[in-house]
Amino acid sequence: MNASVLEARAIAKRFGGVVALRGVSFQLARGEVHALCGENGAGKSTLIKLLAGLHPHGSYEGQILLDGREVQFRSSRDAERAGIAVIHQELALFPDLTIAENLLLGNLPSRYGLVDWNAATTQARALLSEVGLQLDPTQRVGELGIGPRQLIEIARALGRHPRILVLDEPTAALARNEIDTLLALVRRLKAQGVACVYISHKLDEVFAIADRITVLRDGSAQATLPAHGTDAKAVIALMVGRPIEALYPRRASKRGEPALTVRDLDVAPRAHGPSRLRRIAFTVHAGEVLGIGGLMGAGRSELLLHLVGLWGERRRGSVEMGAGTLPPQDVRASMRAGVVLVTEDRKRFGLVLDASVSFNLTLSSLRAIAAHGFIDAAAGAITAGRMAADLRVKTASLEATIGSLSGGNQQKVVIGKALLTQPRVLLLDEPTRGIDVGAKVELYELINRLTAQGQAIVLVSSELPELMGMSDRILMLHEGCIAGEFARGEATQTQLLSAAMGITAGRAA
Amino acid sequence: MQGSQARQWFMLAALVALWTFFAWREPVFLSARNLSLLSIELAVTATLALGMLLVLLPGQIDLSAGSGVGLAGAIAAVLITWHGVPAPIALLLAALAAMLVWALMGALIIVERVPAFIITLGGLLVFRGLHWLVIKNSTVPVVAGGSQNLYSMLTTAFLPPLAGYVLAALAIATLVFVSQRRRAARRKIGLPVADTERHAIGLFIAAQAIALAVIVADGYRGVPLALVILAVVGLLVHVVTIHTPFGRYLYAIGGNEEAAVVSGLPVRNAVIGAFVLMGAIVALTGFMQTAYAGASTTTIGSLMELDAIAACVIGGTSLRGGRGNVAGVLFGALIMASLLNGMTLMAVSPEAKYIARGGVLALAVWLDLRMSRARES
Repeated sequence: MNASVLEARAIAKRFGGVVALRGVSFQLARGEVHALCGENGAGKSTLIKLLAGLHPHGSYEGQILLDGREVQFRSSRDAERAGIAVIHQELALFPDLTIAENLLLGNLPSRYGLVDWNAATTQARALLSEVGLQLDPTQRVGELGIGPRQLIEIARALGRHPRILVLDEPTAALARNEIDTLLALVRRLKAQGVACVYISHKLDEVFAIADRITVLRDGSAQATLPAHGTDAKAVIALMVGRPIEALYPRRASKRGEPALTVRDLDVAPRAHGPSRLRRIAFTVHAGEVLGIGGLMGAGRSELLLHLVGLWGERRRGSVEMGAGTLPPQDVRASMRAGVVLVTEDRKRFGLVLDASVSFNLTLSSLRAIAAHGFIDAAAGAITAGRMAADLRVKTASLEATIGSLSGGNQQKVVIGKALLTQPRVLLLDEPTRGIDVGAKVELYELINRLTAQGQAIVLVSSELPELMGMSDRILMLHEGCIAGEFARGEATQTQLLSAAMGITAGRAA
Repeated sequence: MQGSQARQWFMLAALVALWTFFAWREPVFLSARNLSLLSIELAVTATLALGMLLVLLPGQIDLSAGSGVGLAGAIAAVLITWHGVPAPIALLLAALAAMLVWALMGALIIVERVPAFIITLGGLLVFRGLHWLVIKNSTVPVVAGGSQNLYSMLTTAFLPPLAGYVLAALAIATLVFVSQRRRAARRKIGLPVADTERHAIGLFIAAQAIALAVIVADGYRGVPLALVILAVVGLLVHVVTIHTPFGRYLYAIGGNEEAAVVSGLPVRNAVIGAFVLMGAIVALTGFMQTAYAGASTTTIGSLMELDAIAACVIGGTSLRGGRGNVAGVLFGALIMASLLNGMTLMAVSPEAKYIARGGVLALAVWLDLRMSRARES
């Protein structure tokens, strides 16, 4: 390999009390594709944001070197000027501007102080063809699907002729043929001498394109391996840090009465238009974990949101709990009946980040804590304290702001908040997203304890091993329909994935 | 919490500097008579700011408050002076009307999702127009010349000295009792408490301040009724925000509205409720402000919404919602009221007054943003 074009030396970065990176070193050689692998929360995105100047110099420890000389980026502009282009996971396009404007913004060709639209369109078309898109550059970006948008983002980065291209999960939203275009593009850039940092969860892509692989875990670089001479298994072992079997300690408990029954459900996003969920029917029992899987967009989250009355227009069917049926579109009635949702995006939908741990814990159950309409602060603190101890929330105090806790502990607080409403059915949407492995295992243990006490749990997860490891039964969704039902230990990963992709049906539901 | 403590010290220093400056330039600033007037002005500003707090907590804003102050005062004055309605009934009617209108604004904001900024900006203009219509651009006294009614008494009545002392004693006793009970409760459940000495010193200072205020007030005509009204409103808003589920919902909605919905909180009712309370407080402020002027005129209430917002922000209320408390707002209102009172004493020109008010508002918001940015990074 040539000398490093970009190097990070002993980088440490913390957010409040949470350590995101602890002394990571990383070298990117000229003209190589270097993959960064690691679980959610391992520190990949933080590392990239540092390299992109989004976490300015001074907010971290350690050094960043470009061509062997130290650089101190104060903003993303500095990084851009140094030739680093980053394509972020979250799209950063302007939906109301045209494709050409998005591609060339900050760099629009002009004549006599006015934008030269003809030149802009020509330049934009050239960039579009680089990424294999045949689109009208005057079209608004907002009208495009997520795949083309991702490619436009890449085209925009190319327009700046970067020496270093960083791609953060570029294929998460892409279809197969778009992925092939992208991989071909990366190879072409590599041939032109552009160095790439490539982040992906998809190990097949990583092995298809990378020269070297660096694995991050819990904010530390575990190892840097040449892609030839290692395999997916070794990489996963480094990512997880322990054998996979020990990760999912599910202990099945006694299956009790039906807690929630869904009959023949058809739900549409709006009053008009096609249904998004069709003919959904299932039962969850007390003490049972019902897993729900499926590809992105299969309708998993929508199903849970609908069950608690937060999403969709019900066309047909019913949701029954014990004696009664749940009214659609009424969060508070659903909660009173005993269905609570722990949402996928805990920062957006779960927590009041500026408030204290105990404020967040008791938020949904203040009525129960209030005596004669007035909140008894002592009773609230006792309730919160007991729940925090039950869930083993690690916090300096109950009055610490929730934002100072780690992801796993924040997640426990969201679950604790749900549990304090004394639910009969707990809906967990991606409960382990973005939390580290140790916290995951603690959450799994919590699921075990809850089901042992007779709690019914619906677990939605996009990680198949988690779904297989923790569910007593698994439903796979495909385009809004149940594509298969599997008992614990009955299905292989391939079978589940086939069902999710609508290839073969499992046992008909 | 370091940031918020630094901020408190900074604000206290600002207040001391302000008072020192005014006392130096106009020694009459510290006279019993002026302090008594200042306390009435404080009562008016602070009452409205407490209402504003209820609206800011869930992340909303009310720009129509000042116009509402003028309108509510005008309705009551017109009912009494031109239509012979007894004062208590006139006040009640005007207050009910304000609560209804504010409920409507709240519903438009949280149900129909029209931004509060726009709805209340519309309200600012509409209420100002209605105000002038109601009083036919004239001057409508709150009571027939020379006599007294409940309306005029709002700012002209003073407690007799003995009643003032009794009230002060009661306030101090309540303060000691409540804080002792709170300490005991915290200790029982194992939460940290401030050490006894600091706690005692704090209580002692608070008691001294109350006693001093009453002594100064008695040096003029006694404790103004308006100050008692402010104390009652302050206590109510404090209890509502801290000790009722409704109040905690306001904090939660302002902190993260989406999470509040998912947590099953009655977001709509809470926000509408905050606006209804705001309506009542706007009316009450309108009565006090109009009574203080003696009559409803076209300028009553003008720009008071901005003083209220400035008082809230100076007192640590976040314009993004979710943060703020009664003590801070009272403090912020004291700064604003002192500023206005002192400038009037110094016979500062209206032009300079506008500039100073605007400058303080901008400075307070800028400080607020800097503080919240410091908290985030």
